[in-house]
Amino acid sequence: MEYTTLHSIFTVILFVGFIAFVIWAYSKKRKTDFDQAANLVFEDEQKAQQKTKQESDHE
Amino acid sequence: MSHTTSLNVDYNYSIVRLFTLTTVFWGIIGMTVGVLIAAQLYWPALNFDTPWLTYSRLRPLHTSAVIFAFGTSALFATSYYVVQRTSQVRLFAEKLALFTFWGWQAVIVSAVITLPMGLTSTKEYAELEWPIDILILLVWVSYAIVFFGTLAKRKVSHIYVANWFFGGFILTVAALHVVNSMAIPISAFKSYSIYAGAVDAMIQWWYGHNAVGFLLTAGFLGMMYYFVPKQAGRPVYSYRLSIVHFWALIALYIWAGPHHLHYTALPDWTQSLGMVMSVVLFVPSWGGMINGIMTLSGAWHKLKTDPILRFLIVSLSFYGMSTFEGPMMAIKSVNALSHYTDWTVGHVHSGALGWVAMISIGAIYHLIPVLYKQGRMYSISLINTHFWLHTIGVVLYIVAMWISGITQGMMWRAVNTDGTLTYSFVQSLEASKPFYLMRFIGGVFVVVGMLLMAYNVYKTVRAKDESLQPVPVAA
Repeated sequence: MEYTTLHSIFTVILFVGFIAFVIWAYSKKRKTDFDQAANLVFEDEQKAQQKTKQESDHE
Repeated sequence: MSHTTSLNVDYNYSIVRLFTLTTVFWGIIGMTVGVLIAAQLYWPALNFDTPWLTYSRLRPLHTSAVIFAFGTSALFATSYYVVQRTSQVRLFAEKLALFTFWGWQAVIVSAVITLPMGLTSTKEYAELEWPIDILILLVWVSYAIVFFGTLAKRKVSHIYVANWFFGGFILTVAALHVVNSMAIPISAFKSYSIYAGAVDAMIQWWYGHNAVGFLLTAGFLGMMYYFVPKQAGRPVYSYRLSIVHFWALIALYIWAGPHHLHYTALPDWTQSLGMVMSVVLFVPSWGGMINGIMTLSGAWHKLKTDPILRFLIVSLSFYGMSTFEGPMMAIKSVNALSHYTDWTVGHVHSGALGWVAMISIGAIYHLIPVLYKQGRMYSISLINTHFWLHTIGVVLYIVAMWISGITQGMMWRAVNTDGTLTYSFVQSLEASKPFYLMRFIGGVFVVVGMLLMAYNVYKTVRAKDESLQPVPVAA
């Protein structure tokens, strides 16, 4: 296959992959998981009180 | 040895303390050398006809000191701190972490000695000779082991986004350093790059721009994603945006290097590719900036009372400004005016002093009380004074360089009807002269601010444990 064709296919794959990735990141299913992750910044202080809440699994 | 405010995990703070204090120290040294060479451009006699005090030898010392001594120490400190706290686990391989500290200080001291001696590989932002390059590699591999080892034994399932940025920065800088530093030594202090011609230039700016993209951007974005939410007391505006931000940013930055080589021997298509990628880079850059600033939405009033938060948020404004300016300057027709002028110098400093230094300073003011078991810094009003000194200094600096740079660009390209140049180089230098004074004054403001910081840090560190109580926050 020609070099240029190969590169074009690769570019399209990357583009589609990126769009799929954005859709994944913004899907409703990820929301609770991400909210939990965003709060990791504060969990480092509150461990004693929230010990049980910490052990939530990855879903 | 180490104490912690968290109740369950005994974090290793001693390594964080070491790097935090050296950040302040090297910040003052690096910026003072910067002010000295700014003064030399206005008063050339200030090199005292001494070879090791000449601009040519001190300039790489200034850039190395602020990027690798100040900036990178700040990254070591914050990444070791953040990775422990967001992974809720103590640092992995602590002896190795201590080696990264002493090893890195040895690298810096070698730079301070060899650069004024005139020992240089001549590669911009990578001037250090080959034995020091090997030491850098050893330290960096150890850094990666400590950082990723800590991540591997984390107690939480998710890897917090700040660690993605830190991790991306550590891995990429290792690759950049190894590829760019490939050289054939001919003696203990002299080596020649294995690359030649246009390839050498391309490798150099692949390295140079990604040092900006990964060390000075991704690393400090890691800092941003922890300290902005923490100081603001609310989670990041959009976590999903932060993930898209990460992948988009690292996927694009790596291509932007050729914009440093517009209208050179580099193939035209490479120049155009670099230009396009640099312009596209505007999107993730601003996505990240908006994500950081919007974290404060609903809590804007905190900016009034909290100068630390002001440092962090204003750093993001400067980040937004320089990541708008950068893509614009990467457009070939704009670059034809701006390249090789002071505009570039101004652009770099709005990124370095505005973004990198301000986010680091904000992070340090947040860190010091935690590391030394205090409720707050010794003086909040001194932080406020520092904030204004720094901001005024940076604005003076940038404005001076904009005016000087655009003037230079216009004068250099002006031609008479017969095709000869309208102005000689010296005439453009005369036009720039007043702005060199203005830049010098801006730099003095910044250094004075840093000295206030050092005093404030000293007083906080020396204060009796828990003697400084946090200021009650109005709801």
